[in-house]
Amino acid sequence: MADVSNAAPVQRHEHPTAAIGSRAVRYLAALFVIVTLNFLLPRMMPGDPVMNIVGEEAYYGSGEVLDALRADLGLDEALHVQYGRYMTGLVTGDWGYSYLYLQPVRESITLHLRWTLALVLPSVVLAALLAALLGSIAAWKRSSRTDVGLSGAHLLIYSMPHYWLAMLLLFMFSFKLGWFPLGRATSAGASELPYLIDVGWHMFLPLLVVTAFKAAYDFLIVRNSVVSILGEDYVLMAQAKGLSGMAVLFRHALRNALAPLVTVTAIQFGMVLSGALLVEVVFSWPGMGTLIYDAIGARDYPLLQSAFLIIAICVLIANFIADVLYPYLDPRTR
Amino acid sequence: MRLASHVKTNRLAMVGMIILWVFILGAVFAQLLMPHDPWRHFVPFMSPSVTHVLGTDDVGRDIFSELILGARVSLTVGFMAGLIAVGIGVLVGLLAGFRRGYLDEILMGLTDVVLVIPALPLVILVSVYLGPGIWYTILVIGLVFWPSTARVIRSQVLSVRQSGYVESARALGAGDGWLMRRHVLPNVLPLILAKFVLTVAAAMLMEASLSFLGLGDPMAKSWGMMLHYAFARGGFIREMWWWYVPPGVCISLCILSLTLISFSIEEGSDPRLRRALDR
Amino acid sequence: MILEVRHLSTHYLVRHNPLARFGHRDHLIRAVDDVSFAVTAGEVFGIIGESGSGKTTLARTMLRLCDSTAGDVLHRGRSVFAMNSSELKQYRHSVQPVFQDADSTLDPRQHVGAILEEPLLIHGIGDAATRRQYIGGMLEQINLSPSFLQRHPSELSGGQRQRVALARSLLLNPEVLIADEPTSGLDPLVTTQVLALMLRLKQDHGLTLILISHDLETVAYASDRIAVMYRGRIVELSGGEDFAQRASHPYTRFLLGVERRVPEIPVLEGVHEHIHGAEDGCAYANSCPHHLHVCHSISPELRETSQGHLIACHAIAPE
Repeated sequence: MADVSNAAPVQRHEHPTAAIGSRAVRYLAALFVIVTLNFLLPRMMPGDPVMNIVGEEAYYGSGEVLDALRADLGLDEALHVQYGRYMTGLVTGDWGYSYLYLQPVRESITLHLRWTLALVLPSVVLAALLAALLGSIAAWKRSSRTDVGLSGAHLLIYSMPHYWLAMLLLFMFSFKLGWFPLGRATSAGASELPYLIDVGWHMFLPLLVVTAFKAAYDFLIVRNSVVSILGEDYVLMAQAKGLSGMAVLFRHALRNALAPLVTVTAIQFGMVLSGALLVEVVFSWPGMGTLIYDAIGARDYPLLQSAFLIIAICVLIANFIADVLYPYLDPRTR
Repeated sequence: MRLASHVKTNRLAMVGMIILWVFILGAVFAQLLMPHDPWRHFVPFMSPSVTHVLGTDDVGRDIFSELILGARVSLTVGFMAGLIAVGIGVLVGLLAGFRRGYLDEILMGLTDVVLVIPALPLVILVSVYLGPGIWYTILVIGLVFWPSTARVIRSQVLSVRQSGYVESARALGAGDGWLMRRHVLPNVLPLILAKFVLTVAAAMLMEASLSFLGLGDPMAKSWGMMLHYAFARGGFIREMWWWYVPPGVCISLCILSLTLISFSIEEGSDPRLRRALDR
Repeated sequence: MILEVRHLSTHYLVRHNPLARFGHRDHLIRAVDDVSFAVTAGEVFGIIGESGSGKTTLARTMLRLCDSTAGDVLHRGRSVFAMNSSELKQYRHSVQPVFQDADSTLDPRQHVGAILEEPLLIHGIGDAATRRQYIGGMLEQINLSPSFLQRHPSELSGGQRQRVALARSLLLNPEVLIADEPTSGLDPLVTTQVLALMLRLKQDHGLTLILISHDLETVAYASDRIAVMYRGRIVELSGGEDFAQRASHPYTRFLLGVERRVPEIPVLEGVHEHIHGAEDGCAYANSCPHHLHVCHSISPELRETSQGHLIACHAIAPE
């Protein structure tokens, strides 16, 4: 009945532990969907499921062993039996075999994942700091040339494909100017630099690109947040009492911008990660991006599935952490 | 101050519209504008010259012609995928926001789950299995972007439903259908439009990413595909910047103009709208 | 008896929120708590209460804009809460609200003409020409020129908006008008105008008016009978003419300014219970200078003490 639905609402103040509980359920549900998707896709998609499961290279290379392979994969068995085997395999660490890299998928993934995380995690932090700084400045000097310039730059970067900017920078600074290496994460001993410096030197450009993009996303959030806070009465009061601009900015404005920033970071972690993948390809950075790129070329399905799974897990973890942190950051609930 | 910013936003949106229309018209009239047949093979790896304004690619096709034709593909994928995504999203958002109860819980649960799954990796995986094909790409991208719209629309529907004037209309004797048509929809329409524009932009970027990885349709060469070939077929190594810079510029300009247009639909800075779009 | 309210209750459940400073348990807000009264056709029935007394929830529940928890509302003997959608539509035709804050009750996107046409369209009254006539006539009655038809609510003053809201409800020719704080937020001159308008229209159309307000003077001036609400309950019900002289309930007397109120000692734990009516006992007990021991444990019933005068109090009207 129309009216009942608009009835006196039973006000539900979300108990934060319960809230996290329900979010955890959502994440688990998502994980379940992903795993099931990974299971069903090769079996539902066009083509021989055997090929879809082991990958093209393996398929065409194995010859007569095909039937044995089919039996070994248990494709003749009932679906739920296969699903059970698949799940056990996942949990025990058997994620399949990559014919591209000629090693178990799990090993390839761990090898490449660390490089991606090495690139993405610092950039997330740096970008947040950069956005906080620039966003505050832009908000403070609203509508001035600084603000317009910064906002314009943000908009420009926001509109570009990440990897295209990467290509431009690589071309400009590595090919033409030779300031940075042409790719990869290390020079494999070719340069005399100590390991960390060497990696850092290689990491500079890709890190710059990923950071620039994340900072562009965050910039607007910070700016809007700070603008709205600067307009609030208690801030004007603080200024009237003689607090300097800087103090006001840092004590009030940024603290309040922190919570939305963290939430946005979590929500967009997936996007940042995805963007980083393509940037890695351009710089031949040995992370998940390169893995996926090569796997696509070789149609190495087990590798692709697991890459998807691990990336999804990372994103879920990031979301979860943000959910746990949020109540502590939101000044309203403190 | 408000008026000044509103006018400025509108001027920016005008710029956006003009740029977008240039590309749309270019796509529509591609046949007339292309100096050569983009599929015809000339001498490969040529530098820009009078006959080939942007040179030729690795198999000798004229890059400038490819660029113009590419507009057609990139824009089509963007708009079609955007339509699918927003179509589904609006339906879900309206149903969930208006009906509430179990339907709302189920739909929002579904939305949240899809929302949290990383988009690009999923699209990559499905596209690899499906193989190349422009319509596959459109469908998959559309199916990945609907949750964001659904959430935003639902939230707006809820806020309109709880507003005083909807309650007053109810008190006048209006039924659900009347309220939906007469009060909810008109208040939700601008949001739908803004979301559509932004989704088209996101879809174009995703298509470009997919193509760069080699999952695009070689028969329908988008700007993203051009970038893929430039990178994978030696254009980058050979420092043929005239090959990969123009497609990137085109993509960027389109996204920029779409974003600018979405600002003006924000309706004189309605704070709820702006907050909703920030998502 | 055109409209009768029988033991009506509307309760809200607020779940416990450990992050809030108060309210450690789930608690029940008894917005409307066992309210009963009957309104005769043609009278002006006033309801007085401060904010938080539940008067708005009462109005909304009577209009079935929100659910009731217990009890019923009867329109000409028929239960409102048992009505199906077409009966409900008829009910809405006969019983119309006028809410306070016409700011939110008028759709900012519609112009006045569309706002006024809406009720007629919903109930399928007349054709385009007839509707225009009705609207034109109504505009005259509320003293607005036809030029207002093209304007949007944001272009009108508060008083004008309220008049439009009033007109919108009246276009349906209802039998009963439930006006909740129709003049709050309006300056005194406009208040007088709107009130005078309502009373005149009541005369002209033979309306029954239920006037809800916190403004004692307004209600006392206009009403035939007056009910006083405190925390969801009616504490006194009396005739309008000698209302001030006859007022006996301690709370009513406090509102009239002839009696004081004991300041409540706030108790941190369970402070919400204090705001929204204690479980047992009189809701006013903690503020009442006459309170007896029994007042804290047994809730007083609304009883008739003299002709047409009802009061709920252990101290003033003992058994």
